[in-house]
Amino acid sequence: MKKITCLLIVSFAFAMVFSTSAFSARKTIIKIGINAPLTGDIPKVGEGSKFAAMMWLEDIEKAGGLEIGGKKYDVELVIEDNESKAESAVKANTKMITQDDVIAIVGPQSSSQAVPAGEVANKYKTVMISPWSTNPNTTLDRPYVFRGCFLDPFQGPVVSNFISDEFGLTKAAVLYDVAADYQKGLAEEFKKAWEKRHGAGSIVAYESFTTKDTDFSSQLTKIIKSGAEVLFAPQYYNEVPLVVQQAKELGWKGPIVGSDSWGSTETVQLCGEACYGLYFSTHYAAAGATGATKIFIDRYTDTYGYVPDDVAALTWDALRLAEQAIKDAGKITGRIEKDRQAVRDALAKIKNFAGITGNMTFTEEGDPIKCAVIVKINDKGEYEFFKSICP
Amino acid sequence: MGTIKKFKNYFSNIPMLGWLLGVFTAVLIEYYWGYDYISYYLGLPKIPALFGALFMLKDPYMIPGVMGYNLIVYIIPILLIAKITTFFTNPTAFILEKMPLWLSVIIHLICFYGILHLWAGINDYRALVVKLTMISIILTISINVINGYQGEFSCSHPGFMAIGAYISSVLTLLFFVDDKIFGAALLPSYLGPWIFPLTLIAGGFAASFGSLIVAIPSFRTRGDYLAIISLAFMFIIKSAIENIQFIGGARGMGGQPDYATLPVIFIWTMLCIWIIHNFVTSIMGKALNAVRDDEAASESMTVKTRKTKMTAFMFGAFWAGIAGGLFAHVLSYINPGTFSLTRLAEILAMVYFGGLNSIVGSIVGAVSISVLGEALRPLELYKWIIIPLILIFVMIFRPYGLISFKEINAKRLLRSKNKKEEGV
Repeated sequence: MKKITCLLIVSFAFAMVFSTSAFSARKTIIKIGINAPLTGDIPKVGEGSKFAAMMWLEDIEKAGGLEIGGKKYDVELVIEDNESKAESAVKANTKMITQDDVIAIVGPQSSSQAVPAGEVANKYKTVMISPWSTNPNTTLDRPYVFRGCFLDPFQGPVVSNFISDEFGLTKAAVLYDVAADYQKGLAEEFKKAWEKRHGAGSIVAYESFTTKDTDFSSQLTKIIKSGAEVLFAPQYYNEVPLVVQQAKELGWKGPIVGSDSWGSTETVQLCGEACYGLYFSTHYAAAGATGATKIFIDRYTDTYGYVPDDVAALTWDALRLAEQAIKDAGKITGRIEKDRQAVRDALAKIKNFAGITGNMTFTEEGDPIKCAVIVKINDKGEYEFFKSICP
Repeated sequence: MGTIKKFKNYFSNIPMLGWLLGVFTAVLIEYYWGYDYISYYLGLPKIPALFGALFMLKDPYMIPGVMGYNLIVYIIPILLIAKITTFFTNPTAFILEKMPLWLSVIIHLICFYGILHLWAGINDYRALVVKLTMISIILTISINVINGYQGEFSCSHPGFMAIGAYISSVLTLLFFVDDKIFGAALLPSYLGPWIFPLTLIAGGFAASFGSLIVAIPSFRTRGDYLAIISLAFMFIIKSAIENIQFIGGARGMGGQPDYATLPVIFIWTMLCIWIIHNFVTSIMGKALNAVRDDEAASESMTVKTRKTKMTAFMFGAFWAGIAGGLFAHVLSYINPGTFSLTRLAEILAMVYFGGLNSIVGSIVGAVSISVLGEALRPLELYKWIIIPLILIFVMIFRPYGLISFKEINAKRLLRSKNKKEEGV
């Protein structure tokens, strides 16, 4: 008994003395939090965010740290999983802010997590940039919350105008998931914009389903019978193939147009040739990109083996925005509350930030004014730039 | 084996009061010296929130530091102080023992809350985890009434929770907050925290009325069939809320004021434990057990099975509604997706892990699943392999949960442990 105790104490003391971290002074490390859905319903989104963040960190480490006011600081990423759950996102944000002392947070991606998590960030006066959340409530009345993408009230009219101008059609149908706030909001915005242009009754079919439905034949039959000329389908990447394939099987001939939720590479992998030739609105186009966007895409593809989707690109932009804001803040005092405030003020002032998903300037609400891109899925299954529409 | 026994024996004469005093000292040490001295010299970046589990899993180099911290801050002071102070904690416990049990329990609870408040106050993340854990305790105990004491398999708890959450949120938003849905506040906002319990109770009652939809078919069906009906009920509630536009639909509802503070939740949790304990030990509780074991036999022995089942359902649902209301005010945001299958899985895991037919078991289950879920956070995906594995092992070796069909005797727990006095 005694021997064991002695041995334990001695080994413990040794471990303490030789462990690298013992007795070292606390350094000022700049920490940036990533709140991403690494597990749960949409792990692909979380993976994209994580990979983009790791690439960003690699860049900073190569440069030997982040230079602020002539001094280099080490940067650390705190990546937290929000399990695609609202309360988990809140917990993750609270943990990162109060426990890890992050200076800014990037994420969560989906609105259902970004809205409650934004409340926490705002309460603790910490900058949060949600790269992908399109719900207006995320940033509404929250001076510390920003986003990296355009909003539904902008995207709806963009798609509506694109269809009217490009195809000259007047009768549209909409299929949306009533339980997904993203799809529902966007469907409403689209309907409003379309009816404004073509008059009441020009949406001939407005059909809904619920999350995890896989058979859309009854809705699609109604849509086909209604005499609609174009179908607007703002589904997520896991549902798009089902909708498109089933529509074609049932004899749908017209175009199907989607929204930024189509942006994942999985869409084409799952859908195959049925999706070739379709259009959707999104944040950036991977095929035929130039400049910094191309460099990012090539690097990501080389490292992780697939073309980055819009979430990865937006996360990259959000991180670069945070980086820019931290640099603009001028100096790091080590007092985290003060530094966070400085970062927030600097971020709000950023004008014409050149991101890989377009130039950004923030409005009062913390929403960027940026262009939407219409992408065509070409014959090789790539996302090809078709047209850019600016506000 | 012998040393463990000796060790246990050595500390066996410490009453609950002594342990509380030990923990209190530990928390004080952490509060005053934790950040500036102890964690600093051990090379930790901050005070570890959950006993350092997060640090250890993220960076194995910190393991010695974290172990040292736990040893210096918690283990040694707790054992030492608890042992040293037995000379006066035992007589004090003896005096408390002479008092009525409720008084003694309340004194202990106040001491416990003071320590908890101090401990959680060190870090907001810790406070949030404690709050959500206590809400889980309410949920788990309330489902135990239905799934444990009454022996049904009900899956509608997230639905009850959703009703409670939405009703109490609507009420607080309507009366005390200027918001976009309901316009200006109808009552001055300083009344809010005082009327908040009433809104919670309203949510609880709404949930228990909702539970009638499940309770009435439960007269005719049992087992799998009731599980399906209750599952359907959960989905009905979820889809109904999704389609009601004025409370936000699928977008959810936010902006609830921060009324669910730590003391509020603590009081509700204790109330819940006390009331449910009284309920299940009453005649009604015995009737519940009788219905579970043999419905026909108990009916012939004059147990009103209908009334029993209905009460149990409504009672369980009431507390689920309260938990939902508290949950909504902790998070300040709710959406129908929150009250879905994942939540159900979580609640069921807690109750079956902890133990059926036992309040203590429910507390153990709720605390361990919540804390495990938080502590294993850095493992990301592997967390969802480890927790289910633990659950599987519990099911294999203890099919009814860790602590099932057992209650802890408060009097025995709190009594003085002085062997001389025991002999008298």
